[in-house]
This record gives sequence, structure tokens and C-alpha cells, in this order.
Amino acid sequence: MGLDKPGLLGSGTPTFLTTRLDFVVNWARRNSLWPMPFGTACCAIEMMASAASDYDLARFGMERMSFSPRQADVLICAGRVPYKLAPVLRRIWDQMMQPKWCISMGACASSGGVFDVYSMVQGIDTIVPVDVYIPGCPPRPEGLIYGLMMVQEKIRGESLANHTALRAEDPLATGRPRAGDEEVSDLTGPFGNSTHQNRVSGLVETDAIGRAEDRLP
Amino acid sequence: MTREPAPAPSMSGFDLVAAGPREASDPSGTAAARESVPPGNPSVTALRGHFAEAVFRNRICAGDEDVVYVDPERITDILGWLHDDADQHYDHLADVTAVDYGGGRPLEVVYQLWSIPNRAALRVKCELPLDALAIDSVTGIWAGANWLEREVYDLFGVHFNGHPDLRRILMPDNYAEGHPLRKDFPLRGRFSRAEQTRRALTQDPEDYYVPGEIGERTPQVVEGDGGAGADSGAAGGDDV
Repeated sequence: MGLDKPGLLGSGTPTFLTTRLDFVVNWARRNSLWPMPFGTACCAIEMMASAASDYDLARFGMERMSFSPRQADVLICAGRVPYKLAPVLRRIWDQMMQPKWCISMGACASSGGVFDVYSMVQGIDTIVPVDVYIPGCPPRPEGLIYGLMMVQEKIRGESLANHTALRAEDPLATGRPRAGDEEVSDLTGPFGNSTHQNRVSGLVETDAIGRAEDRLP
Repeated sequence: MTREPAPAPSMSGFDLVAAGPREASDPSGTAAARESVPPGNPSVTALRGHFAEAVFRNRICAGDEDVVYVDPERITDILGWLHDDADQHYDHLADVTAVDYGGGRPLEVVYQLWSIPNRAALRVKCELPLDALAIDSVTGIWAGANWLEREVYDLFGVHFNGHPDLRRILMPDNYAEGHPLRKDFPLRGRFSRAEQTRRALTQDPEDYYVPGEIGERTPQVVEGDGGAGADSGAAGGDDV
């Protein structure tokens, strides 16, 4: 009787399809990524341009910007994050449902950029785990789209077999820094801005940061 | 009030800016010397007439901007007079800020005034020694000075006597590294990055935005919400 109905590929072909569960789950996840925009600076302008008709993020499944973290899949942190905003960013990340991914867009979000100052988080990866870093100041929309496609490629490689390793979260870690003290020091040492690099390398000596009381304890 | 243009007619505005500030007088100058460079704003002359000993000197910056240095002890008298006097009428306090020139020089508190009816601007400065950073609050004259003075307190550590709510406004409430815009403040702060990150995340975001700061939300009464509602009053509301 089943032969009477037209199959997937014409009359007489099967009316069902076999596939891997991993593939179909990942296919669904990577083609319906809803971004949670966390735009604080000029990178957010490029993010808006990416969502507008010229670049049209909806082509890639980012059908709408989700302004509620509970209905978002990928956090796009676009712009500099001061320390006062760090607990807000951490809370938004904690409020997002698994599975979730994070994109650090631009130099400031990734490393603090030129803002190697008292008020600025030196890379949001000290606060939340980051999947893809997009360089640029700010990145062009092509850069953001490429970063989102890299997230899609990362999802393609995931498997439900190691779901716990990939997606489980320690509930005690909510509201806490992602990185430990040593890691924060490592991240902010060699990857600081050019002034910091010059100081670390010993190439340049400036009085402004060479005073003893200015050194980090 | 007629307003005389300050710059000389032969110089353009860019030339005047490039020429730098001109001292209208020095503190030890005679009365004649004080008038050697006439201020563009007649309020300066009037201010000298009323508060002769409290007005230290005045200068003209950037071509035509009048700056008056006054006694910090009498700042509320002077600014109150500038606000209330019928001829001055500086009813808009555009900004309160401060400048730390470093090198142990006194910190300057700057009041940028604007008179809406006279269309006149005046900048009043007070010099405070670094070991006595306190001045009277002007929130009694302009209520809008509240947050501006909080900002100066937060970033420079100037204590405003009589301020109704003097606490940090830009930096987090648990910020313990000092006042960041002071010249003796290190660029990256006093704590390590790890400590700064840890302290930042111990903040509860809801602490910043308490409902009392935004203002109590009062229930809106909709006009004409049923004819019976006006008569029965609260009883009608309880039924719903």
C-alpha cells in the first residue's frame, strides 16, 4: 500500500528518511541561532548593519534579534564592557538557556582594546566563556557573519554523546568570574594594549607607568 | 543688558584661541589694571562691584569666554547672587566639573553658568588646596547640581558640604580604589585585574537600580474609567 503513495524522490521511493540524530539536532541548532545583542559601543552599529537588509543575518538563521536572554542562543557582546557592567553581562549569560554560545565582537570585548584603564574589563572571557572572537575595531559586517558561521561550524562538530562535557554548567559558577586569578593575570599581561606590550617587552620606558606606585601589586 | 563683543575686531576667532588666555588682571593689581582687559561679559564687572574682595581675578579664554576665579568660602553667596539678581539672572547651571592640573597645584572646581534670558555664559572657578577638598553645595540654588556634584565627588573626591545625597554616581558603590580622575591615580587603578574582576562580580546589578532611585511608581487613575467608578470609589476597584 505504501507503494501507492509518492515517495520522497518520486513514486515507489521510501516515504521515510534515515539520518544521524547528531546531524539533525545540530542542523536544527545551527540554522536557528537567535542572537542576544549586548551592544555597548560602535561595534553595535556594525551589528545593526549586519542585521539590516544589505547583509541580512536572517539568511543564516539569525532570524530575529532576541532581546530576552531566555529565548536566545548566542550572546554577541559588541563593544567595551566596563567593570560596572560586568555583573550585568554575567547575569545575562546565566539567564540564557542551554545550548548557548558566546561571540566576543571587536577588540574591546576581546581584550579591552585601547582601554587598558582602571574601569574596563580586559576581555569578556574573564567574565563569561567565549566561543568565537572577532577581531576588528569595529569588525565589518562580513566579520560578524564570518564569526557566526564559525559558531555554526562549531555546532556542526558537536555530538550528543559528549553533551555533558560541552553543555553542563556548574550551578555554583553562576555570578562568578569564568577565569581564575592567575588566568586573569595571564590574559591581561601579554595581550594588553600596545603600551602594555611595550612595557612588558622592555622596549619602551615611559614615566607615566614606570612609577613604583603604579605597578600592579 | 547690552553685550559687548570681547574680541578685538582685527583678530579672528581662531587667532584668539591660538593666542591663549589673557589675564584681565592679577591678584595684586590695582583697580586700573583690573580693567586693562575689559571682560566681554558685563557680569564680571558687576561681580567685582558686589564681591570685590571675593573675586580674585578674571581672564578671557578661547577668544571670548569669561572666567572668574572666586573665593571658595563665598561660593554660595556669589552663585546665589548671580542666580537671583535681576540683571544677571543665570538661571541655568550647565555643568559642574573639576580640573586637577597635577604637580600639587590646587584643584579647580568649575561652574559653567548660562543665562537664558540674557544669552550670556559665565564660567566661575574655585581653587581648592589638595589637602582641603571641600566646598559648599549649590544644590540649594540649582537642584540640577545634585548629580553634577556627585560626579565631581566620585571622580575627584571633592566633598560638597550640605549636599543631600553625596555618594558615588559613576563608579560602583563598592569601589575602594579612590577617585579616578585625580592626577595621582594610576591609570589602571590600584588593585590587580583579578581583584577588580572579582570585586565587580560581587556587585548585584539590582543594587544600582533600586526603585526608590527611579521614583515610586504611583498607580495611574484613568479618567472616565466607568461612570460608577467615580461614585463607588475604592469599593468598585476591589470587585475587579
